[in-house]
Amino acid sequence: MEQRNPTLRGVAWLWFGIAIAVLVVGFRQAIFLTPTDAAQGDVGRIFYYHVPIAMWSLLFPYLNFAASLAYLYWRRRDPLKALTADAFALASAEVAVVYASITLITGSIWGRAAWGIWWAWDARLTSMLLLWLLYASYLLLRRFSPTGQSHTLAAVLSVFAAVDVPIVYMSIRWWRTQHPAPVFGGGPNSGMDKSMLPAFFWNLAGWAIWGIFILLFRFALERRRQLADQEAALQAIEASLEIPQ
Amino acid sequence: MTWHSLFALSTMEHRHLLVAYAAVLIIQGGYAGWTAWNWLRLKDTRH
Repeated sequence: MEQRNPTLRGVAWLWFGIAIAVLVVGFRQAIFLTPTDAAQGDVGRIFYYHVPIAMWSLLFPYLNFAASLAYLYWRRRDPLKALTADAFALASAEVAVVYASITLITGSIWGRAAWGIWWAWDARLTSMLLLWLLYASYLLLRRFSPTGQSHTLAAVLSVFAAVDVPIVYMSIRWWRTQHPAPVFGGGPNSGMDKSMLPAFFWNLAGWAIWGIFILLFRFALERRRQLADQEAALQAIEASLEIPQ
Repeated sequence: MTWHSLFALSTMEHRHLLVAYAAVLIIQGGYAGWTAWNWLRLKDTRH
């Protein structure tokens, strides 16, 4: 039997500590050190959490996509590898929903203060809401589908859901509606003031390190659950063999 | 900005700023807490 790995546990605690430390620095930069935005006032500081988390919210669906493809490839060829891919797909879908939820909530709170409205059916907001709905559907399908094929169906859904990610990314480039223009790669007028860069990049790094930590932690939990299910199944088989015929 | 002005809830912009940051920390912390709780609850079968 595979043994617990104390080195891996030590690395996980170290990674967690680094994530918290970087996030504390990012918070300090965003709230206390960066000058107040001349146009928006202090509510503009929501940007330092909203934008980095929104950027990472588009990465986790691709990890889910890759893991789902691996699951579909291995499910008949190598079921044990398929189980591992399935655990990673579940973890990445949950983290995608967490990051997308935060993006929608913080964007809405900022929109109410900056635009005077909580929501607009603008291309970026609508495509992001669709992304959230797709991955929430993925999780609900896995949780409540009564058939034995729910993991395969969810993997197929994931392949189609990933199509929305480039649409979300390109939406503020293809259609100029309510949402602000892209901060990076949006043409000659994009970019941000130098004074904003430390707060932005500390939070970008912090939420990436945190995202990797929580993704791998959730993956490890799912693997533990799968192994517990296998152990319970083996015990049930052994118990049934001991029953006198 | 200071801790005092962060918690000065008399203006809408400060209320929204505080609620947005609190929402982020509660959602991320809540998800991490839920994962940790399940991790501790689920017996490790590998030993």
